[in-house]
Amino acid sequence: MAALTPYTYIQCPCSDFSTLGRPSDPNPPTGTEAEVDDDGDDDRTFDPRAPRANYSLYPLEYLLYCEDCHQIRCPRCIAEEIVTYYCPNCLFEVPSSNLKSEGNRCTRSCFQCPVCIGPLAVTSVETKPDPSLLAAPDNAAAPHAGPYALTCSYCAWSSAEVGIQFEKQNGIHAQLAKLRNGGATRLTAKERKERRKDPSYRSQHTTEGPGAPHETEDLDLETQFANLKAFHQGQLVDPNSADTGLTALGDLGFSSPTSLSRIMSIYTGGSLQDKKAKSRVGAMREALDANEGFQVARLDESAAIEALRSEGHDGTASAAQLADQPPNLGEGHLHGRGRFTPGLRPIPYLLRTKRSKRCPVCRHIISKPEAKVQATRFRIRLVAGSYIPSIAIRPLALGSGSGSGGGGTSASGPAVPGALLEPLRPAHYLLTFKNPIFETIKVTLGAPAKTPGRLASKVTVLCPDFEIDANTDVWDEALNQGGAGGGGGAGGAGGGGGGERERRRRRGEDGAAGGGGGGGGSQSNINHQNQLEVGKIWERGRNWVSIVVEVVPASLRLEPGDAPLTEDEDILEIPMFVRVEWEGEAGGDEVGSVATRDREAREKRELAYWCVLGLGRIRP
Amino acid sequence: MTTPAGSAPLPHRSVANIRSPTGAGHHQSGPSTPLRSISSLPSNFGSPSSLRADEEIIIIEFGTRKLQVGFSGDSVPRGCVWFGPDQQRRAGDFRAWQTDYRYDWKAAAAGGSWGKDHELWQYDVRGADLGLVGDKIERALREAFTKYLLIDSRPRRLVWVVPSTLPIPLLSAALDSVFSRFMPPTVSLLSSQLTLTVGAGVRSALVVDLGWSETIVTSVCEYREVASKRSIRGGRMLVEQTHNLLAKHLPENQTGSGDDGRERVITFEECSDITTRMVWCKPRQTSAPAQQSSDDALATVQEQDESEPGEPITPREPGLVTIPVKTCRSPTTLELPFDALAEPCENAFFDSQYSQSSFDDHELPLHLLVYQSLLHLPVDVRALCMSRIIFTGGCANVLGLRGRIFDEVSHLAQERGWDPVQGKAVDQLRTNPKLKGREAGQAGNGSPDNAPQAHEGEEKDGVWHDAANTIPEVDTVEEQLKRGTDRRPRVQGEMRAIESLGAWSGASLVTHLKAPAIATIDRELWLQHGASGASKASEVDYKTQRQSLGAGGLIRGSAAGSAWTLGVWGTS
Repeated sequence: MAALTPYTYIQCPCSDFSTLGRPSDPNPPTGTEAEVDDDGDDDRTFDPRAPRANYSLYPLEYLLYCEDCHQIRCPRCIAEEIVTYYCPNCLFEVPSSNLKSEGNRCTRSCFQCPVCIGPLAVTSVETKPDPSLLAAPDNAAAPHAGPYALTCSYCAWSSAEVGIQFEKQNGIHAQLAKLRNGGATRLTAKERKERRKDPSYRSQHTTEGPGAPHETEDLDLETQFANLKAFHQGQLVDPNSADTGLTALGDLGFSSPTSLSRIMSIYTGGSLQDKKAKSRVGAMREALDANEGFQVARLDESAAIEALRSEGHDGTASAAQLADQPPNLGEGHLHGRGRFTPGLRPIPYLLRTKRSKRCPVCRHIISKPEAKVQATRFRIRLVAGSYIPSIAIRPLALGSGSGSGGGGTSASGPAVPGALLEPLRPAHYLLTFKNPIFETIKVTLGAPAKTPGRLASKVTVLCPDFEIDANTDVWDEALNQGGAGGGGGAGGAGGGGGGERERRRRRGEDGAAGGGGGGGGSQSNINHQNQLEVGKIWERGRNWVSIVVEVVPASLRLEPGDAPLTEDEDILEIPMFVRVEWEGEAGGDEVGSVATRDREAREKRELAYWCVLGLGRIRP
Repeated sequence: MTTPAGSAPLPHRSVANIRSPTGAGHHQSGPSTPLRSISSLPSNFGSPSSLRADEEIIIIEFGTRKLQVGFSGDSVPRGCVWFGPDQQRRAGDFRAWQTDYRYDWKAAAAGGSWGKDHELWQYDVRGADLGLVGDKIERALREAFTKYLLIDSRPRRLVWVVPSTLPIPLLSAALDSVFSRFMPPTVSLLSSQLTLTVGAGVRSALVVDLGWSETIVTSVCEYREVASKRSIRGGRMLVEQTHNLLAKHLPENQTGSGDDGRERVITFEECSDITTRMVWCKPRQTSAPAQQSSDDALATVQEQDESEPGEPITPREPGLVTIPVKTCRSPTTLELPFDALAEPCENAFFDSQYSQSSFDDHELPLHLLVYQSLLHLPVDVRALCMSRIIFTGGCANVLGLRGRIFDEVSHLAQERGWDPVQGKAVDQLRTNPKLKGREAGQAGNGSPDNAPQAHEGEEKDGVWHDAANTIPEVDTVEEQLKRGTDRRPRVQGEMRAIESLGAWSGASLVTHLKAPAIATIDRELWLQHGASGASKASEVDYKTQRQSLGAGGLIRGSAAGSAWTLGVWGTS
């Protein structure tokens, strides 16, 4: 079992499980959205093991905070706006109009390897290309530059392998769109139409295959869609109906008489419209040939089966590779024939966005990145970490805490972070709450006595109610900076005895409880054991407070008939309801905030949320 | 006439119903075919907020294992999100990327849920966590919107493409989640079978959806679903059969050979991957001794397309295929004969070693399922549908499967005709010249055994004889139909498979052409009433049109304002 660093997850109040996901009763009294009950009277315990919990828990770093609503905002309850679109490979900004016309991928020469998703580079193919792969004019046009191919520097895949080579070094995307795998060029819709008009082609085509040529013509997806669209539009705008203007529902100009009649038809309740509909009855027929987008399926796949037989497993692309492939508009329906590795195509990079985030309630911006693509700065970013107390978890070595069963091994066990917890043996953890705001906050904790789920560990929060001083004087902390400083549990762990001593010294200055000044680790442990009493804060600093949680981990022994442990079920996770109260004035003086100095009076605020503390793995 | 159970009584009558827009009791403009009722009110007049995002309608196709999204008017979806266990992790849980991390799939698959976390939902909603379904949809949609569509979180109109068999609780959970999280002003529902038909450019089709959890054969006639049959033989079964095949060949199981049951030896991911890569389907064997019966070709069936299977692939030398298997106890490379890789497909979809009577209704082999669906259709609908067979779904990608089903069905049709009654007694009856002669002379109700049913299906009794001789009355609707269509003959009565662009693309087409959706759900109304609000409104249409797609097609423009329906999904 891997070592586990204690962690904290916070459930955003927006995804309170009591409001979301109501049971499927047929007549629910109210909707799901507007209920924001305050959790005060809600007795139900949040279960971090429930499958739904994974969707609502976030690390503190993922959360933002709206200063005006005084609420945590998680990625689910935030309104986003797009600042820029850019390609992650070439870092070029893409105007939003291009997005609509050219899709969501980079249209320059940025491609990913279809095999390993590494970036592809355009390189010149040294050897003269096979004349069968390239049409004759290519050689004539580029006598010295030579054809180019996309190659992957990681797995050495080259687009020449799949028969794709380019004449020019730039504009690869446009060239690729016209090429099929194997090097055959693809006709655009216009060319197809022109070709059809061409009598020489037609005669040639008819001699090739018996039957109507158009009906059997293979269309690629794009052309089929375009043909179908044109066909249906043609059918809808049928000459026998006079009101063709009505089909243009998109334009909302009220100047034309057709739109007037349309508006009239709204108010006359559809009688007018019925008449029109009657006149249009039977106007549509079905598509009959390839010109209209109709395609007869080709069911004979014996060639592909033969290929599969000869290529074997190695000749096919994996599911992940196929999933990464962009839809290939240049081919018809593949129906599994696209599974072979020669069918893979270079993947143009998906574009990405920079987004600014707003509070969905008050519309204030709570995160705004720099518009420049290269910059990683944020102009505004109200992270929740600077508004709600952070919780650091650290195991506490207490000798034999329970007195009765604690042997020497168990005493030293939990003191090392990441060590396994002994089942059914009490262990102690130090939770350090750090107050980031400039007000004194009052914290009330609630934790179930037994963790929910089938492995119920006992939990006792020794001091569930305390105050943390304001985050006032920065220099004070800077001068007293010890090894741990109440920060992350891992850091504090490394510093072991030194940090412990440092903190004890500070606590001595505070005068909370007279401890021994500079004793060794073992001696002070004994001191602590004496002080481990209910209702007392373990330690207190300038803007932080440590309290002790005692846990008795459950045994992982399962009954014979039980399902085996699922992943992470052996981690002792405590759901804890945190309620923070403070008296705030109009919050203009907080870090990085937009100044809103309109309110002067101090008002009482509170914030309440569930969080999950992952303490450690239980020894199986 | 044989009437399909629970559907519109007579096909031409239901077509007539479609055609006449003056529905007697409707204040709306009656049930109308989606594409034709283009001149009716667009659904965007209801609220001004929807006008803003009008140009960008997002189309979402829900499948059991994946989600496809894109903008209306595009020919293919822009992005596709697969459901998987990695998606169900907490935010910030990156352990899947750690080099030493190994997903403990055995524990996850313990409760018979091997592969379940790759599914969005199970159609069996007993005990389903609907909230979880909503969460999964939300997360997948968020990923799709952010990664593929690159859109902000402005409310946009959504069009959903969902199978018409989707249970109401799942639909309701999905709508709940999306309405409360993405705030779309409206969500329109389109049936995937219907949009597939549109995507093929036809008005009637037999949609064979070889899906993940089940195979659904839906008959669509004049843009409405008239019948649907299902079988649990789908992708899941195929993957499980592949698993069994691989497990049989794994060296660790060679010795023991005791544990064959529920024990999983490789991960679902790997098994699914091998299935999509390697599994293929044999063409139809020409000599099937079990299905030999009298070749009594019926006059009603025009079998022009004999579609001789002819065995293009003769089983040659048993070519071996090597397949690396990584996730079993000791990673190894399997050597399988190539023909063995056709077994899973054979077992999952055809099971031809069993007699036909041994199958329950829910597990019919696919060729029988298709044949039965066609058989139970009224004659004219069948004629239309049998020459417009659309294969779709993930298992349509199994090489050779479409052709195999098609050949099998053609063969069945050729062998049995479209006679619902079969068996020894019928054969005797048919071959008995005395009975035949008597039958022709008199009305069939005098026959002792099950003969009446037999010729009810194909022949005409006395009443109908008279009707046939009289001059048919002039049907104005039919006249109009004739006037409207051009003179090009419709292909019908022969077996033919056609290609569809796919459900998503069909929906894109439908939406792009501004056809009003089957059911359009307003956000406010949904949040007020939920799914129960719909059933109230559709009570009106419920009596007249049980299977109607167009009932309440113009929801938001109707005078009542609050009358809306879930369409086919609401009638259950």
